Amino acid sequence: MPIGVYVCHCGLNIAGVLDMDELKRYAETLPDVAVARDLPFSCSDIGQEQIQKDVAEFKLDRVVVAACSPRLHEPTFRRAIAKAGLNPYMLEMANIREQCSWVHMDRPAQATQKARDLIRMAVAKAALLRPLERETVPVSQEVLVIGGGVAGIAAALDLADAGMHVYLVERRPTIGGYMALLTDVFPTNDCSICVLAPKMSEVFNHPNITLISYAEILNVEGSVGNFMVQGQKRARYIDEKLCKGCIDQCASVCPVEVPSEYDFGIGKRKAIYVPYPQAVPLVACVDPKACIGCGRCVEACQADAVKLEQEPEEFKFNVGAIIVATGWQPFDATRKEEYGYGRYRDVITSLQLERLLNAAGPTKGEVVRPSSGQIARSIAFLQCVGSRDATVGNIYCSRICCMASLKNAQLVKEKYPDTDITIYYIDLRAGGEGYEEFYVRAQKLGINFVRARVSRIEQEDGDLYLIFEDTNTGEVKRVKHDLAVLSIGLEPDRSADVIGNILGLSRRPDRFFEIAHPKMRPVEAHIDGVFIAGCASGPKEIQTSIAQGSAAAAKAFKLLQKGELELEPTSAFVDRDKCIQCKLCVDICPKKAIAVESPAYVDEAACKGCGSCAASCPVNAIDMRLFSDAQIMAQVRAATEKKDEFPLIVAFLCNWCSYGAADLAGTSRIQYPTNARNIRVMCAGRVDPDFVLEALRRGADGVLIAGCRIGECHYVSGNDQALQRVNVLKEVLGKIGLDPGRVKIIWCAASEGEIFARQLKRFVDELKEMGPIGTELRAGEAQEAT
Amino acid sequence: MKLAYYPGCVSRSTGKEMDLSTRAVCEALGITLEELEDWNCCGATHVSNELVAVGLAARNLAQTDLPVMTPCSICYSNLRTAAQKLEDRKLRATVNQVLAQEYSGAKIRHALDVIQEALSQNPDLVVVPLQGIKVAPYYGCLLTRPRGVDSPEFPTVLEKLLKDLQAEPVDFRLKTFCCGGPIFMPRQKAAEDTTFKILMDAKKAGAEAIVTVCPLCHIMLDAKQKALEIKRGEKIGLPVLYVTQLAGIALGLGPDELGLNMNAVSPIPMVERIYEKMAEQS
Repeated sequence: MPIGVYVCHCGLNIAGVLDMDELKRYAETLPDVAVARDLPFSCSDIGQEQIQKDVAEFKLDRVVVAACSPRLHEPTFRRAIAKAGLNPYMLEMANIREQCSWVHMDRPAQATQKARDLIRMAVAKAALLRPLERETVPVSQEVLVIGGGVAGIAAALDLADAGMHVYLVERRPTIGGYMALLTDVFPTNDCSICVLAPKMSEVFNHPNITLISYAEILNVEGSVGNFMVQGQKRARYIDEKLCKGCIDQCASVCPVEVPSEYDFGIGKRKAIYVPYPQAVPLVACVDPKACIGCGRCVEACQADAVKLEQEPEEFKFNVGAIIVATGWQPFDATRKEEYGYGRYRDVITSLQLERLLNAAGPTKGEVVRPSSGQIARSIAFLQCVGSRDATVGNIYCSRICCMASLKNAQLVKEKYPDTDITIYYIDLRAGGEGYEEFYVRAQKLGINFVRARVSRIEQEDGDLYLIFEDTNTGEVKRVKHDLAVLSIGLEPDRSADVIGNILGLSRRPDRFFEIAHPKMRPVEAHIDGVFIAGCASGPKEIQTSIAQGSAAAAKAFKLLQKGELELEPTSAFVDRDKCIQCKLCVDICPKKAIAVESPAYVDEAACKGCGSCAASCPVNAIDMRLFSDAQIMAQVRAATEKKDEFPLIVAFLCNWCSYGAADLAGTSRIQYPTNARNIRVMCAGRVDPDFVLEALRRGADGVLIAGCRIGECHYVSGNDQALQRVNVLKEVLGKIGLDPGRVKIIWCAASEGEIFARQLKRFVDELKEMGPIGTELRAGEAQEAT
Repeated sequence: MKLAYYPGCVSRSTGKEMDLSTRAVCEALGITLEELEDWNCCGATHVSNELVAVGLAARNLAQTDLPVMTPCSICYSNLRTAAQKLEDRKLRATVNQVLAQEYSGAKIRHALDVIQEALSQNPDLVVVPLQGIKVAPYYGCLLTRPRGVDSPEFPTVLEKLLKDLQAEPVDFRLKTFCCGGPIFMPRQKAAEDTTFKILMDAKKAGAEAIVTVCPLCHIMLDAKQKALEIKRGEKIGLPVLYVTQLAGIALGLGPDELGLNMNAVSPIPMVERIYEKMAEQS
């Protein structure tokens, strides 16, 4: 197996510190090395051509490039050797710039020594590389959108217009979500249903959309590209094909009246009902909880559409991607008992006010006091009810309520100029295009603003009294109003828990679904092929929800448009003979890619190659195609082959954060000691205790494991698992008489080069204190002898 | 039923009627009280030092395996706070270092909840129904804090008990309003304003009496009522009874057993009215 080694000068970036001749000569002495060269710029065309020429001339079958970080130029050199006819995965890089010459500028001799070790480690790993093929799998080009609110509608329409078939599954009898129930919407005060209804009908009529309303998803199996979806359409007790949506005939004879959930309890509906006139599909629905089975509607319907014996229907289909747009639910205002919601009739929620203001609502647009039916002349808006409030477990801001109250206050003021309106707020948040202008407009209309969190509402002689401290004047006040509107916050929809569990979505501490990266990947879930749009991942205004729906559609389209997926060959695989079916790996896998069906099996399309399963397998039955056990072990052995530095540290750095942090320390030229020999792994969770013990056994004075900060692992929980293993390892070390401090685990984000350098320096100091490995054993023996 | 009894310091000073009526009512309900031996302060006197406050409470609680009952909301709140804090293993270990008897968890009950439970199971024990008597249920602040018993903002347990006694709870707006007691020393005027507001609100709601669960509330509403009447030039005349006293009346206990003559505003005329009404009906 002839190996070519190329040591890069990178101009003076590397050659200015390290002894290039010495490194080249040293590389020549390493086993299997057929040719070693130093190149001024290995990434340049000339450098790449030299490597390609050597591949042909020396019949090289693997290549080591000692240069910059693989995070920078690994793809470049993979392409270069692929051009020369080698498998692109037969490349290994030694990082002698970011993690050597740039961080040890004042110690050229030790730095050169470290570079020799890094090259030796790379060559040892290269000898064990295997050619890997990127496999492609065919994928379904259909998409499931869960939730027919405005985000789901946006996603479904964009995908359908682009030519992909969409299944839109909605839990309620109509799509439209909360937006369909609002009156005018900020910041332009245009009529909500007027802009939404055309979109709803478009969904209904689109040839590429299958709308399944009044239905639940019961199960999802498979992975990206090939999800098998199973669900149930609940019985409406109406034949959807026959119902004309006229509703007059059936509902007019229905004797049962219940509060309408579409008016948030202030209006009424019959047991047979259409949610609202613009509902899609425009089909009646019988509420089985309210229906008394009298059968009058059956007789009244001329289309013969009422079928009280109807059963739920199962459905099944396959899709390539899933967009979760399950939305939100309003905070339950009765939980803030001090405001008396549910006890005082004139205390209402912001959603009820939306319905009062709505011309199609229960009062035909009149803002009345529920207790008297009289027009309200003095209205208080209480902000942050159920938001920014630790006492109800919601410390987050619900983001839309300030603007919604400003909007509703304006609408009331425009309709009833004499009505006195006060908004009680903690902070008024009007960040967004046209929002501040909207706030100013409300001020100019004569709406009052009082900075106070209202402490309680009392009812006395039929009037409401708000008690609060005006924090601008420092006075405690008691002020009378006719009507109090609680601006209730947004909470994650509890009925979406089922979907979350089925898909394995993780949740943030605020209980909303967590996205893959809070900044860079706003609509992707941790699970490949699953996207999240709208309020399912946190409170959002309409425009942002629509943007997210479209973004999720674009992501799904990009994923599926080729009709096949190319898989990175980084996945785990199982030695079926060794597997004892303990299922440890199943629990550990963050991607739910492993199943145990005598023996374990890895879904390579779902696996992201973190390697935590391989580290956890008690019988080493799981290994990785890249970063294999044997390769890492070879690096560990090569790192400890010569011990020319004290303390000698073998360091495992996770690819995403800490390796990035070490690179950043390099680009920032932060100087730190030369003692660490770094080994790149995909995740801190990859570090098998065997690697650590082997390093110590062979004379390393310490082992460093560096992962992403807790809660920021790119594989969700790999760093937690690493921490657990390190804690166990420390106990083991203690038992055999070694100082547990010889194994150290640290967390640093890719932006924390400074922290990486500081932590490493501290570890070097700690190890110096402990002395070379084994000191404590000899001390222990000496003690026993005396 | 057998319960450990923690009377609290007020039982030996300004709240003797609370202690007296508690013992009498429990006896009438068939509840055996075993007073803690050598009990000490609940911790209220050392709230500024968490460790001492928790330690004092723990010393009381460690003496028994029985649920500990107290009629005082201040003690009740302090004991519960301590028990919650002692869930922390480190704090528990620290406290246990100095205790003769080790603390290993406790159940704490308020006399209100004990009486309410016993009466709801055995309504026949009410021999003198408080029919038609309008009572303002006054909770104060500490009964429901820390959270975990009833709602801190809109509790209803007192109303339930009043209905069990066949009294009529009035819609009392200020039922969880601070009694003013905690600020009486530094801000006497503000405290008096508050107390006056509560008394007037109860009166306005049509109450003939106020029922309390806390000795500090009791002092503010009862003992200071006369002085307030003089200062504000307004007749109030509202008897303020401990919940144990009111329950005792319904259980047929006499004024001496319940210490009714120790209240500043005498509840005796009201008791007489109750008996007269009962005589009329029979």
